[in-house]
Amino acid sequence: MPLLELRGLRVAYRPHHPVVDGVDLVVRPGETLGLLGASGSGKSTVGHAVVGLVRPSGGRILFRGEDITHATARRRRALSTRLQIVFQDPHGSLNPSRTVGSTLAEPLRVVRRLPRRAAEARVAAVLERVGMPPAVARRYPGAFSGGQLQRIAIARALVLEPELLVCDEPTSALDLSVQAQILNLLLDLQHQLGLSYLFISHDADVVRFLCHRVVTLRGGRITEPAGPRS
Amino acid sequence: MTARIEEFVARGVRPGRRWRAALRRPLAVLPLAYLALLVAGSVLAPLLAPYSPVAADLDHVLAGPSLSHVLGTDALGRDVLARLMYGGRVSLLHAAIVVVTVVVAGVASGIAAGYLDGWFDRAFTWVVDVLLAIPVLMTLLVVLAVVGEHQTVVMVALGVLVSPGLARVVRGATLAVRKELYVAAARVCGLPHHRIVAAHVLPRIAGPVIVQVSLLAGGALLIDAGLSYLGFGAQPPDPTWGDMIAQAASVIDRQPWLLVPPGVVLGLAILAFGLLGDAVRDATAGHSPLPQPARTSTLTPCAEPSAALLSLRGLEVTLAGGRVVVEDLCLEIGHGETVALAGESGCGKSITGRAILDLLPAGGAVTAGSFRFDGEDLAATGPRALRGSRIALISQDPVAALDPVFPIGRQVGELVRLRHGGSRTSVRQRTLQLLRDVNLPEEVARRYPHELSGGMAQRVAIAMALAGEPSLLIADEPTTALDAAVQAEVLALLGRLQAERGMAILLITHDWAVVTSFCRRAYVMYAGHIVESGPVEELLTRPRHPYTEGLLGAMPSRARPGTRLTAIPGSVPEPGQWPSGCHFAPRCTLATPECSAAPVPVSEPDAGHRTRCLHHDELAGGERASA
Repeated sequence: MPLLELRGLRVAYRPHHPVVDGVDLVVRPGETLGLLGASGSGKSTVGHAVVGLVRPSGGRILFRGEDITHATARRRRALSTRLQIVFQDPHGSLNPSRTVGSTLAEPLRVVRRLPRRAAEARVAAVLERVGMPPAVARRYPGAFSGGQLQRIAIARALVLEPELLVCDEPTSALDLSVQAQILNLLLDLQHQLGLSYLFISHDADVVRFLCHRVVTLRGGRITEPAGPRS
Repeated sequence: MTARIEEFVARGVRPGRRWRAALRRPLAVLPLAYLALLVAGSVLAPLLAPYSPVAADLDHVLAGPSLSHVLGTDALGRDVLARLMYGGRVSLLHAAIVVVTVVVAGVASGIAAGYLDGWFDRAFTWVVDVLLAIPVLMTLLVVLAVVGEHQTVVMVALGVLVSPGLARVVRGATLAVRKELYVAAARVCGLPHHRIVAAHVLPRIAGPVIVQVSLLAGGALLIDAGLSYLGFGAQPPDPTWGDMIAQAASVIDRQPWLLVPPGVVLGLAILAFGLLGDAVRDATAGHSPLPQPARTSTLTPCAEPSAALLSLRGLEVTLAGGRVVVEDLCLEIGHGETVALAGESGCGKSITGRAILDLLPAGGAVTAGSFRFDGEDLAATGPRALRGSRIALISQDPVAALDPVFPIGRQVGELVRLRHGGSRTSVRQRTLQLLRDVNLPEEVARRYPHELSGGMAQRVAIAMALAGEPSLLIADEPTTALDAAVQAEVLALLGRLQAERGMAILLITHDWAVVTSFCRRAYVMYAGHIVESGPVEELLTRPRHPYTEGLLGAMPSRARPGTRLTAIPGSVPEPGQWPSGCHFAPRCTLATPECSAAPVPVSEPDAGHRTRCLHHDELAGGERASA
């Protein structure tokens, strides 16, 4: 059974002006599906619809066969432990006025209802997994470079142990040498944890490098159906 | 005001820490101490006041300050100090009621409107507009006429009437925070709304709210005093500050002193609230001084001077605060040559381009080195004389360079007139020709900047750069903000123009795909140094610097899909934190102690191929990179 399946997904912020129009795609367990498109092609909107940040106006989103298109808030909360997202801008994805540790522990305390000690231990373990020393939990996001912040943002997404990670241009704001570190990290995490990725990017080289299969999006529609990377 | 709020929200300060620091400044300490004194004096009035505020002493009417009556007595011989203290109880309590009402009504409705959006926001905006249209003082007088004896109700009404101002500020700040990715991340994690508001939104809007509240508190004191002055306050003989001022005013010809104590106390209180607001604003929007860097290197000689179009020798650029961002930079561009200046963000490549044009940010300066342009030493004339005519610049964000209120034709035409003069018709002909040269239809001349796509705007910027017929074009990341297809078109256009006009191009970029497709020679920058330079093909096949080699290994396009990339560990050091000697040494696998001991000289292992590395012989280079 596919992990994630989109059937005719349609999102319109204004009536009759869909930014995503009839997108079908499948992500299988343990694979990376690339979603390639230029700016304005609607690729980020697809990712946002999958994690429930925007409401689809048509079509269906299936997660392990379950229709989550119009999941209730309670169901979404449960799903948050299985579906997570990493954004493009590492500086914006962490609250600058809270320590890294408190941001990472928050979903554990609120959603998982873990006691403080257990949450802190889990945060330390996740930080270690993304290659950051556990001591960074006590510091504020302002103290880190873009690449370090993106590692922390990935740790934030991993803290609830999801099965699918939507990666919304996670390396586009990073320099070449830092991008390589993050791409390596994503490969390692997939290898170690069996994660699946929906990897959204405008960079054909990066997509070809990282993804098992690629779909191309233009004007909200898929122009090239999922094929193996060429 | 909105600009201030955006500053608060955008800067992402750590509220707690900043405010604690702010409250230690003299600007904050003095007002705080004064307000604390007022509150203490009022609250403890029954214990501290020397007399009862209503005890009349008809033997000492309208007395000046004396030992028995420190601030004198009023027309009924009552002690002014005692009345001030008791009066403060009423005035400060009233100000507090107003502030609490405003905060509760304004913050709650503003957050709800900004966070929930949709119909609630529309209803909110409508109600706020109506409330703002109501004249506050007249409405207050009506309320007073109806429930005048209930002063608390009057103050709550005042709070409600002035709350829309704060509510709008809060709504704006909340809207900005709501769009932050970390709020989206919290939603994806399934955190409930009240939790997101409490943990993520409230702390970020606290800054603007506190500024507003401190100003409001001062205003509330003033209005309360005004109402008492008009006789709508607490009823005699209970004192209020406004009432004391009114009584002093009635006997001003017999004892002017009486006006001083309540006037000064009230005036200082309002001033204190204002200063406190300023202190909080400064603290949340303030800039911390930059650390002074340690100087790390000395100059190494550049190659012999040549007949190059532009030649920079030993250039050093220092920005405000003494940060050296470019060090010992030597660069040459021949006539009609296309040269890349490549590097990661923060390495100093854009600053170098700006330094050539004397367009450094405020406080920045070229602190060493020389420029020669077409054989002339620019130390004498300065690059300003060449800017726009002999040397032109296009940047990453062309729309920002265009004035939004004028059509394109007028903006290009202005430059044509400036450079060439001539009649209206000839200027117009030349303008249209320039637009045709950059493959734009003539009708673009009538359009406004916001009506252009990114690619068209960049073409317009190129046309404007061409207006002065420059011999050197500095292109600072000209295609970074464009999509791949448009990027290729703009590069093709630049290539064609260069071939037609024999113009040299210095292409500043971080994108190696652009370098390889467009340039024959490249300079590689790392942390303020040029670490390697040479023909692009040689750089790609036989890099002579470990940093270049590392970058090649980091390119996904050169790697086998799904295999780990050979990434460079660590990150680029900030200016001011550069290591001594070779700036790349801490991240380098070949580094030895001597790399960090002294500045590394530039050597030229192959003709035209220079490197700033002691160990360039040990690089497996060609074999590894081309495999």
